[in-house]
Order: sequence, then structure tokens, then C-alpha cells
Amino acid sequence: MARLTFERVSFWYPATERPALREVSLAVAPGEVVALVGKVGAGASTLLLVAADLAPRVVGGKIEGTVDFQGGGRGKGGRGIVLPSPWTQLSGMAFKVWDEVAFGPANLGWPRERIVRAVDRSLAALDIGALAARDPGTLSGGELQRVVIAGIVAMEPALVLLDEPTAELDLEGTTLVWRLVRGLAGDGCSVVMATSDPDALPEVADRVVWMEHGAVRRIGAPALLADESLCEAGLATTVADVWRMARLGAPYPLTVAQAERRWRQ
Amino acid sequence: MAAVNAALRFEHVSFSYGTVPALRDVSFALAPGERAALLGRNGAGKSTLLRLVTGLLHPAEGTVSVGDWDTRGRAPESLARRVGSVFQHADQQLFARSLRDDVAFGPRALGLAAAEVARRVDTALAALELSTHAADHPYDLPPAFRKLAALAGALALEPAVLLLDEPTAGLDRQLRARVARALAERAAAGVVVLVATHDLAFAAEVLERGLVLDRGRVARDAPLAALLTSSERLAPLGLAPPTGAALSAALDLPGRPVRERDVADTLARVAATRGRV
Repeated sequence: MARLTFERVSFWYPATERPALREVSLAVAPGEVVALVGKVGAGASTLLLVAADLAPRVVGGKIEGTVDFQGGGRGKGGRGIVLPSPWTQLSGMAFKVWDEVAFGPANLGWPRERIVRAVDRSLAALDIGALAARDPGTLSGGELQRVVIAGIVAMEPALVLLDEPTAELDLEGTTLVWRLVRGLAGDGCSVVMATSDPDALPEVADRVVWMEHGAVRRIGAPALLADESLCEAGLATTVADVWRMARLGAPYPLTVAQAERRWRQ
Repeated sequence: MAAVNAALRFEHVSFSYGTVPALRDVSFALAPGERAALLGRNGAGKSTLLRLVTGLLHPAEGTVSVGDWDTRGRAPESLARRVGSVFQHADQQLFARSLRDDVAFGPRALGLAAAEVARRVDTALAALELSTHAADHPYDLPPAFRKLAALAGALALEPAVLLLDEPTAGLDRQLRARVARALAERAAAGVVVLVATHDLAFAAEVLERGLVLDRGRVARDAPLAALLTSSERLAPLGLAPPTGAALSAALDLPGRPVRERDVADTLARVAATRGRV
């Protein structure tokens, strides 16, 4: 059974006439990592808000179609979203990073030992144990992004929604987040994410969803990111794009490793 | 000496947040028209360095100069006559009812005549291909467009120094190209461009000099093209070559091009001499 199902979902933000999502149908299996790609304004962020049950419930607007989420109930596999502006997600109730990450689990009413275990594991997964005693208000943008991700993961969700999760991260942070995503999937958690970094996807995503003007244009394996149509749309991987610019003929390699194999043949 | 004509200069600058040191003994100078990348790990001090230029922070030790102005004793609104900046999450900082009004805020605050404000706003919006959105409400546009609008606001100040913090985060390839073109244009007109970024591919396309911060110190100050080709030199600084450079190394391309266009051109040339791919 799918963890998350969209059936012909359309969504309008308040006081707008043009739908931000148009008849989107998508099913995400347990343990699957789905990446949303598209130009700015294509609807990826909106899809994540709807999947998180924030739109229309919190942001308002109008929805048609059906969204179904099969989690594990309170404290046992809900859904969590990491927004693109991490500082807007801080609780404002914690003076230490450890307490900030514990805020979500504590609100789920877990026993103390379980909270401690979940928080410590989450801090370790994002390699921010050293920040545990720092005031969240003194962190850099990238450090904050990791703290917010840790706070979501600590709640042991069944579905994690990530909007540009590596936008402010350095190389180490980016590597950790992608490893964490694969780790979550390995534990059966489903991940849906929007990213403008297609180069990372061949190793991270199981499927790629190409969105355009609020609708799903194509769904496929990450190899889709070397497709002519995605190159034209400016959404392909750098390697595919360079290969195409060099007029070396399709099919284009997707990654540096693929290009190298092709080149040495 | 170049430093005499520097548009932006740091001399032995240190800064701490309470007991947490953020910058230690930082010195460098940028000449008019220079395009530099500020690189380094999260928390290395990049954003702090930029805030010292805008006057939002002042150095605990050392001197920050913008042209012949010492930033000490100057408030941000005074420095805004020479420094334009776009910070992380700039998309959340718009407040006017239309993009045009938002971009006009800075020039108006400088006390410019209405005609001059209008000219600057038109030029800035055009530079980022936002003219068709001039009448739109900022919050009817995706965050990425608001980010471009914030950059247009900084361009409209026509500053001598332009500071950007992670300008490409959340931008797609086409919007990145717009930012790249606008920055190149400003630099050609003599503006200093200093960009804090993790997007090394973007840095390689637009910028020429790389200042790498490591735990608050300047660990490297070198031409970007040379810096970005060496994974051995980048790794200890928490950086890796952008995909274009990695491809050119993996394929052993002559001259190790870094920019994507250059990689493609070299690739095409070598493929032609080999007769096949």
C-alpha cells in the first residue's frame, strides 16, 4: 500500500484563480525517495505543502481531488516537512540546540528516555552533536538548516518532505543530508523532496517527478535527468547538459562516472 | 600599490559573537571591478564578514574600509550609499505592494529625484528580466523571484560594492543565468562583487578570485579557476570541485576547464580529433 497518494489533486492559493497544482496524481511507496524537479514556480513546493497537510489546512486556499497519507499514528510515524527557510521553523522555545531538536518529540508525549535516544541519534546523524549546547540564535544559516532537519527526523516520521534541504549547506552537510535520506528510506520512511541540484539525484532518488505549470509532466527513473526534454528545460544533470552542449549525441551520460566509462570505450 | 585604490579592504579584522570567535585576523583588498567568491564551510565566518561590510556589525579589532570610508562609526544607512547587499532569505524581506515599489525603496531612501529613482528601478528590473513583473505583488511570486527582486533592489542603489549571500539557493538554471549576467555587467562597470556561496559551479561561471575562510581565517586567496580544479587542495577546506571541473579531471581534458561552456567546447574539440566518442 502506498504511503502517500495524490489522486487528481488541484490546489489554489487563497485569492488566486490559476491553480498552483493541476490534477496531480502520484503514489509514493514506503521506503521510496521521490525527487520533484521543475523550474521555479512549477509547483514542487506547493505539492510538499499539500502532502504535509499544511495546504489548505493552514495556508488556506481550495483543493480538489484526494490526498491520502498512511502513517503510523501519533508518535509512531507521522509526517514532517523541512521548509526552505529553516529559521522560520525554530520553535522559539529553546535556548539550546538539544532542546530545540527535542521540542517535537516532547510534544508527541514520548517518555524521557525515548526522547533522549531520538534526539541524540538525530544529532549524530547530522553530525551536530558539537552544537548541542549552543543557542540556536547564534548558529549560521547552514548549521540551522541541519538543526531543523534533525528536529524533524527526531520525531521518527513515516514521511519526510524536504524543500531544498541542501540549499544552504556546505559539502559535508550536503553529503550528510543525502546519506540521511537514503538511511531514512532504508528504515522504511518515505521521502519526497524538491531540489534544484539535479547532480545529486542519480545517487539519492528512486524516482524523479518533472513538474511544469503545476502539473506532472513526466515521472521516471533518475535517468530521466539526462533526457533531451529535461536538457531543454534546463533541468538535466550538469554532465548531460555539457555532453549535449558539446553535441556528442544522445543518449547523454547522467553522471561523471558514466561519462568517464563512455569516454574510455 | 593596489590597496590604495581598493574599493573594499579588511586589515587584521577580528570579530566574536560573545565568546564565540567568528573572524580572526582577516586581511584582503578588492579593487574596483573585482569579482570574488567567499567560500568555506557552514559557520566559517562568511556571513559575518559580509555583515562587517554593511555596518550591521563592527570589527572588534582591525579596520574595514569601503573606499576611503572606515566603517567604524558609520551606520548601515550611511554605508548603503556605497554598499548594496542581498542576504540569505532575501525573499522574506520584501514589504512593498509591488516589485517596482520594493526596488524603489532604496534609491528613494538615498534622497534621489523621482526621475532618477525611476531610471534606476527600470534598469535594475531589466537587468534581471523582471520588467514584466514590475506591477506584481511580491508575495504573489515564487520565493525565487522575490530573491531576484531583492537583488534588483541592491542593484538600484548603484553601489560601489555589491555583497551577496547564497544568491543561487533555490534558483533554477535559467534564473541563475540571469543573476550571473547581471553581476558580470555590474563588475564590468567597476563594481566590486563579493559573493558568499556553496554553489561552486555558479562561482566558476561568474567570479574570478576565491577567498576561502576556514574557522574564521582566510585559508586561501587564489584565482578560482586554479583553486577549483584541485580536489586535493579543496578537500581540507570542506570543498569539492564543481561537476564541470570534476568531469574535466575525470576525462583528463587538456587545460582542465572548469566552466561548463568551456568543458563542453574542449570536449567537442577532443572528441573531433579522436573521431568518435
